Amino acid sequence: MTLEQAARAPDLVAENGIRRLLELFYDRVRRDAQLGPVFARAVGTTDAEWTPHLARLTDFWSSVMLRSGRYHGDPFSAHLRLPDLEASMFDRWLALFGESCADVLEPDVADAFRERAGRIASSLRMGLFERLPGNAARTAPP
Amino acid sequence: MTYVVTENCIKCKFMDCVEVCPVDCFYVGENMLVIHPDECIDCGVCEPECPAEAIVPDSDDHAAAWIERNRSFATQWPNITRKGEPPADADDWKDKPDKAALFSPEPGG
Repeated sequence: MTLEQAARAPDLVAENGIRRLLELFYDRVRRDAQLGPVFARAVGTTDAEWTPHLARLTDFWSSVMLRSGRYHGDPFSAHLRLPDLEASMFDRWLALFGESCADVLEPDVADAFRERAGRIASSLRMGLFERLPGNAARTAPP
Repeated sequence: MTYVVTENCIKCKFMDCVEVCPVDCFYVGENMLVIHPDECIDCGVCEPECPAEAIVPDSDDHAAAWIERNRSFATQWPNITRKGEPPADADDWKDKPDKAALFSPEPGG
């Protein structure tokens, strides 16, 4: 290990944790009855389609939890393009994410991920289902 | 909820925040930055990055006077995604009180 690698060792460990977390989480998402079909349509069903998506999400969580600055994108617009997205899906997403955090991460780290995910989910949900004019119908009961 | 840039940024403009923001929601004026509240995803990454401690959640007491100004100028100023050169005297203005009167509505670059 070089000196530079040694200096970055905690971040490397954390990066590996993020990768393990996301692999477990999205494996569950893809098999989930409520979320699976939405992700299958948005991302795909093959490893060739999921590998770059996982890499992108690893960058996102690295930016959010380690402040690495690797991700620059527009997750709001990415979700806006999903016609079958429902507000209640954020709760399911958070439940699966919380379980996966507990399975992979140390308890205090898992808490930090869950707290951050909860805030981002609230923000996206508010933007997609409450703030946008014309989207009121998507939250209205059938 | 969203994060808000407050008067501590005025004439400091260190811009560390723009490098870490995952959604590029900062906009640059002549002597401060603002956050577009509809683009911020509330991740909080920028808050501890700011050397001037200018970024606060909109629930913070210091945010109240700046929420509307962030919203308004985010639609008038250019987007900024890469850190530029801070003002030469940025450190001199750090922690100076009562900078609100020095706010410039002019766009930055």
